[in-house]
Amino acid sequence: MRKKISFLVILLILCIFAGILLGSVHISPVSVLRCLAGLDRDSTTYILVTTVRLPRVAGACLAGMGLAAAGVILQGVMNNSLASPNTIGVNSGAGFAVMLTLMLGGGYTSTAPAAFAGALATTLVIFSLAYLADSSRTTIILAGITVSGFLNAGINTIKLLDTDITVNLTAFMIGSLSGLTFDSLRFPAAAIIAALFLSLFLTKALNVLGLGDDIARSLGLNVTFVRLALLVLSSILSGCVVSYAGLLSFVGLIVPHICRRLFGNDARYLLPCSVLLGACFVLICDILGRILFAPFELPAGVLMSFVGGPFFLYLLFKKKGGRRVNA
Amino acid sequence: MLEFRHVNVSCGSVPVLNDISAVFQTGRITTVIGPNGCGKTTLLQCLNGSSKVTSGSILLDGTDYLALPLKERARRLSFLPQVRTIIPALPVRTLVEHGRFPHLGFSRRKSRKDTMIVERTMEFTHVSPYAAQFADTLSGGIRQRAFFAMTLAQDCDHIVLDEPTTYLDLNGQRAFTDMIQQLKDQGRTIILVLHDLGQALRISDTLVVMRDRKIAATATPRECLRQHIIEEVFDVRIKEFSDEEGCYYFFY
Repeated sequence: MRKKISFLVILLILCIFAGILLGSVHISPVSVLRCLAGLDRDSTTYILVTTVRLPRVAGACLAGMGLAAAGVILQGVMNNSLASPNTIGVNSGAGFAVMLTLMLGGGYTSTAPAAFAGALATTLVIFSLAYLADSSRTTIILAGITVSGFLNAGINTIKLLDTDITVNLTAFMIGSLSGLTFDSLRFPAAAIIAALFLSLFLTKALNVLGLGDDIARSLGLNVTFVRLALLVLSSILSGCVVSYAGLLSFVGLIVPHICRRLFGNDARYLLPCSVLLGACFVLICDILGRILFAPFELPAGVLMSFVGGPFFLYLLFKKKGGRRVNA
Repeated sequence: MLEFRHVNVSCGSVPVLNDISAVFQTGRITTVIGPNGCGKTTLLQCLNGSSKVTSGSILLDGTDYLALPLKERARRLSFLPQVRTIIPALPVRTLVEHGRFPHLGFSRRKSRKDTMIVERTMEFTHVSPYAAQFADTLSGGIRQRAFFAMTLAQDCDHIVLDEPTTYLDLNGQRAFTDMIQQLKDQGRTIILVLHDLGQALRISDTLVVMRDRKIAATATPRECLRQHIIEEVFDVRIKEFSDEEGCYYFFY
């Protein structure tokens, strides 16, 4: 397991370096290293690296980490392999809140708090709907799908009413990382890192929760509290990502699944591995989007579906001794 | 000793348990029996909070059990619920290690003692050969033993099992009876819900007979038979046969 984790760390470092190196403008590896070391401060390369490539790479990393972790948490909390920030409507909630603030004239600084608020509000609505009904796993997913459809209708309404923001809407709905700056990343980055750190403390509880409520209670876990705490963490994670990267859809669902198959179901390993692989996945997709049709750019979200979909299908059909996913 | 004192449970305005008073003696096997839907499982669920006690109290060795923090409850009383809809895709050893959860400190790291107890309980329940296999790939009987091992890994003086023999074949049931006897000999208090009346009569020290969400009687198996309580509650007739190995019961 240690070997696998260090492999992922090395892969992530390579992806980060590739993310800075590759793009429509060619930069040599040596000058990238010089820039990272703080040399050549006046060169165009330095400006390109620090104001364009670095924020973008950081944004991609955090987006992958946040969404993958949110996926692991939601799948664990709801004991449902279909759960992800998308399927339970958290992303739509965040997206709707972002659209609403943009329509009401809010600047791009207010989108992160709005997205978090939207994600949290949606999570709480879904959680309380399900809790009031019977708190079962199916109810949560059903409630999520319903609320998600409702919010997407809201997003589309705004899109039709306010034509000014339609321009950015396509990129937002697919998920894109272009044009990120360190300024716009500051708040989401801090929140994502804090939430990731906290969620690492709850992996054991997540495991116990995976045994079902009845057994989890017998083992002395405060099921209601832990579930609520984890839901809040997951909405911080996905909400903050949506605020700057839009509705990246595939990461939260497939990265946790890929990791389940590669590293097993134990959340103590699953969560950190998913976080690392999620970052790599978004980075790779973003890099491919930048270089495949350069100088044109495909949004990361498109590449994610192109790369992630088939890979996921391959994993689904390739049986691997006993390591099935909880249905 | 675990004692229920005038415990009521209601779901909304519907009473689910009605004035339950029962004593589960230390170092004894007490079995709760009763027809389907009489409230046996609800009675046990009061212990892990799955059913909320609306009035009355539960005493564990004289202290107010319901006032204890959840972790503390799980360190003193282990309860294996009946319904297991979710079989986690985890190795058996990891599953059994979950039994140590209430004992872990804030760091959630397991000590040498935790590892030792996990190995010992896997040995005791004969699941050691399956330690590395995934729980969801095992047969019902071994799965049942793995969950039993998890409950024993909590290492509590009070052990509560809801229908532990349902998935077991005859051999498995005999092995289970042996394990329960050994746990009793260690001085632990065993509380069971069993559907197999013959087994309940053979292994229990005390029977708690329930009917219509109430306690109908609390007595030794012999006394229950003598007063025809089981025959009345279950609407059956019992024939008893005995030889040098013990008693056998025939219900019709």
